Amino acid sequence: MLVKLKFRVLKTIRVMKEKYLAEMRNIWKSFGTVIALRGVDFCVRHNEIVGLVGDNGAGKSTLIKILSGVFPPDKGEIYINGNKIDIKNYSARKARELGIETVFQEKAIAENQTLWRNVFMGREIRSRFGFLKVKQMKQETEKLLKRIGLTSSAISSDLTTAKTLSGGEKQGLAIARALYFKANLIILDEPTIGLSLVETEKVLEFVGKIKEEGKSCIFITHNIYQVYPVADRFVILDRGKVVGEYYKKDLTLEELIEKLRMIAIGG
Amino acid sequence: MRLTSTNKVIWLLMKYKLQVSVGGIALLLWSAFLIANPRLFLTSYTYSALMSVIPVTIILSLSMTFIVALGEIDLSFPSVMAFSSWVFSVMWIATRNDILALIGCLLSGSLAGFLNGLLVVHARIPSFLATIGTMFFWRGVVMVITEGWTISLAGTVGKVVHTALVGRIPLILKEGIPAQMIWAVVLAVICWFLLNRHVYGAHVLVIGDNAEAARVMGVNVGRTKILAFLQMGLFAAFAGLISSLEILTFWPTMGEIYLLLAIAAVVLGGTPFTGGAGSIFGSFLGSCILGTIETGILGIGLTGFWVKLLYGMIIIISLIFQVILKRPKK
Repeated sequence: MLVKLKFRVLKTIRVMKEKYLAEMRNIWKSFGTVIALRGVDFCVRHNEIVGLVGDNGAGKSTLIKILSGVFPPDKGEIYINGNKIDIKNYSARKARELGIETVFQEKAIAENQTLWRNVFMGREIRSRFGFLKVKQMKQETEKLLKRIGLTSSAISSDLTTAKTLSGGEKQGLAIARALYFKANLIILDEPTIGLSLVETEKVLEFVGKIKEEGKSCIFITHNIYQVYPVADRFVILDRGKVVGEYYKKDLTLEELIEKLRMIAIGG
Repeated sequence: MRLTSTNKVIWLLMKYKLQVSVGGIALLLWSAFLIANPRLFLTSYTYSALMSVIPVTIILSLSMTFIVALGEIDLSFPSVMAFSSWVFSVMWIATRNDILALIGCLLSGSLAGFLNGLLVVHARIPSFLATIGTMFFWRGVVMVITEGWTISLAGTVGKVVHTALVGRIPLILKEGIPAQMIWAVVLAVICWFLLNRHVYGAHVLVIGDNAEAARVMGVNVGRTKILAFLQMGLFAAFAGLISSLEILTFWPTMGEIYLLLAIAAVVLGGTPFTGGAGSIFGSFLGSCILGTIETGILGIGLTGFWVKLLYGMIIIISLIFQVILKRPKK
């Protein structure tokens, strides 16, 4: 027991020593004649929220899909916790095992299922012969909902089906699930698209929780206003290239928007 | 929020409102029949007779619940019933070993179901079309081989399989309880656990709800679907065997009446055709309701022509009920 704990602590220390949680170097990707990414360098540090900003077609989703193992790059290297990834054997499943979890809007939640079934979808707690430990899963879900701040008298892990949640709460549920399963890096693909102001604020609160829990997050958006309050750093992508990288501590929202405007005009 | 006992009752009613409403319909119908013809519906013979017929529908609708909850459909099971019963009959006549014949019967049914699964998952043919194909195929196989002739199974009486599947258990009723009713209840309990308390059922429900989300979250969608179709084939073989052993005859057109009956029982029981949910209890009751109507109608003195009319009415009324119950509260 003690040895195991010591081993884990040592491992954590070793991991923390690595500068980057995830790093991508000189990533190229094309689809037919369209070049989506032209030598992109991108990284995420420990306990950092990165806003990945760019217009439609800038290559944000492509970059993130390569990082999460959905498809391989044509050229380039990926490092997770300092270890080089074997691109040939990299897959979405592998990425998840390495602690990278992507939350896609439409593909995250089974609407007609209760909350505990959604949280444990595909990763059910089972006893022998595959029977479900329903009580345990319900309790864990209750705890999890409290932890992420998804609490109201109307929400219960057992009775509430996911479709009765608001858009922001659904994102919250998916984020909570990722945290529960020990994701170190949670990638949110346009989590605020189509959401009202209040709902967007809710999502931002959930993103704040990711930071509180000591994890990292990539927040993909085409709307700088939505990611500015929570992000530590912004990476601007334009036509397959990184055209700007800024820390929030260095400039105000107005200055950042001015930079974006210059890029849009210049590009 | 602490639940008081009154709250808990309301909570349970809310959670199981569909099941409660189906139960209500069953109770209503039964009382109507009882009032209309108390002599028929108070004799044990009636119930013994019902329990010898209804289990076939129940067993079919139980596994159909999984298929419908997946968002799929299987139209080939009546033909699979005939095919695997034919396998039983032929093996029985050739070897006079009923246990061996039973194993052959169940294996052939599972194999036919597995084939449906492969067509749906790997050939990517929509299940509606794939099972129309296999429906004609297996029926055709049986027709070509038997040339339409029936096979007598009279020799199975007193053997283990006949006694175990369709024997009469001398309990409660004067005529005894048909063994197939016990099988139906046992299978219903097993299916309830499989759907609600097992990984298999959990995966069936999330796939029926949002297959893409299930896939992203690591659920093996293809394997679960194949398993469900295999289960349907296995259950169809079992139900077919009960059906032919009960009347001691294999006949090549057997099973055809069960096609819509079993599907209707599932729908009546509250399992939505859109997938993502399923009620084993509902399917069980739905089968009982549809199975009782025929007897009831003849019992209250109407002709058999009324049976389908009443089927239709009850299905439509209960579907309207379900739509109203499921409508989100404003």
